[in-house]
Amino acid sequence: MDEVFKALADPTRRSLLDALREEDGQSLSSLERGLPMTRFGVMKHLRVLEEAGLVTTRRRGREKLHFLNAVPIQLIHERWVSKYAEPWAAALTGLKREIEE
Amino acid sequence: MEKVFEIYIKTTPERLWEAITDSELRQRYNFGVGVSSEWTPGSRYEAVHPGAGFAVSEGENLEVDPPRRLVQTMVALWSDQVKGEGTSRVTWEIEPVEDSCRLTVTHDQLNEGANDELFGGWPMILSGLKTLLETGEDLTTPGSLRYRNAGSEEAA
Repeated sequence: MDEVFKALADPTRRSLLDALREEDGQSLSSLERGLPMTRFGVMKHLRVLEEAGLVTTRRRGREKLHFLNAVPIQLIHERWVSKYAEPWAAALTGLKREIEE
Repeated sequence: MEKVFEIYIKTTPERLWEAITDSELRQRYNFGVGVSSEWTPGSRYEAVHPGAGFAVSEGENLEVDPPRRLVQTMVALWSDQVKGEGTSRVTWEIEPVEDSCRLTVTHDQLNEGANDELFGGWPMILSGLKTLLETGEDLTTPGSLRYRNAGSEEAA
């Protein structure tokens, strides 16, 4: 679980997860296009996400495709959110959304 | 469209296979929905919530290779919206890793922009499966509560 928190603690890695949520199964080149960063930098961040289990990869021909794996986030949610704060968190995120709209 | 879900569970491939294919075990982590089938290649399966009394999804077992690999087609039937999504495919792969198993569920042949009800429940289902196998207990999730209550109301 430490690895998941560490992986989520970085804004670039969170934006990579957002990009995969938007469009799953992207190649490195396509993920790289959305970020102001070298290919090597993106690769490094993807490796951290893979080690945390947040990203899984599949080979398709010559390409390696990246998929968002939401299961570790679900495990954190159950361990650290639902037990402690779910009724409040639901109410507050709802309120936040309403205010922001 | 293709979605991939992966989880590590401290159990044996045999116990994991049983938890996936045994209807009573399945009900305990799959939103109360059990699954009945002969589990032979080419056989049909039906996923039924005992409270609702009708199949919420169904399909064919394309490959049945216990305790490693199960490939199924899936037709969602739980609402008019999802009925329009047609047939997708679910592949369960179990791979032993030291004292645990890596379970990968690949849900593919989904329409582009498919309704996320079709695949959005997998993280909850898989973490409930992990809890069941590792602790013997049911995992309470918002989903499990909702479906348990919905079932008993309809049954009443």
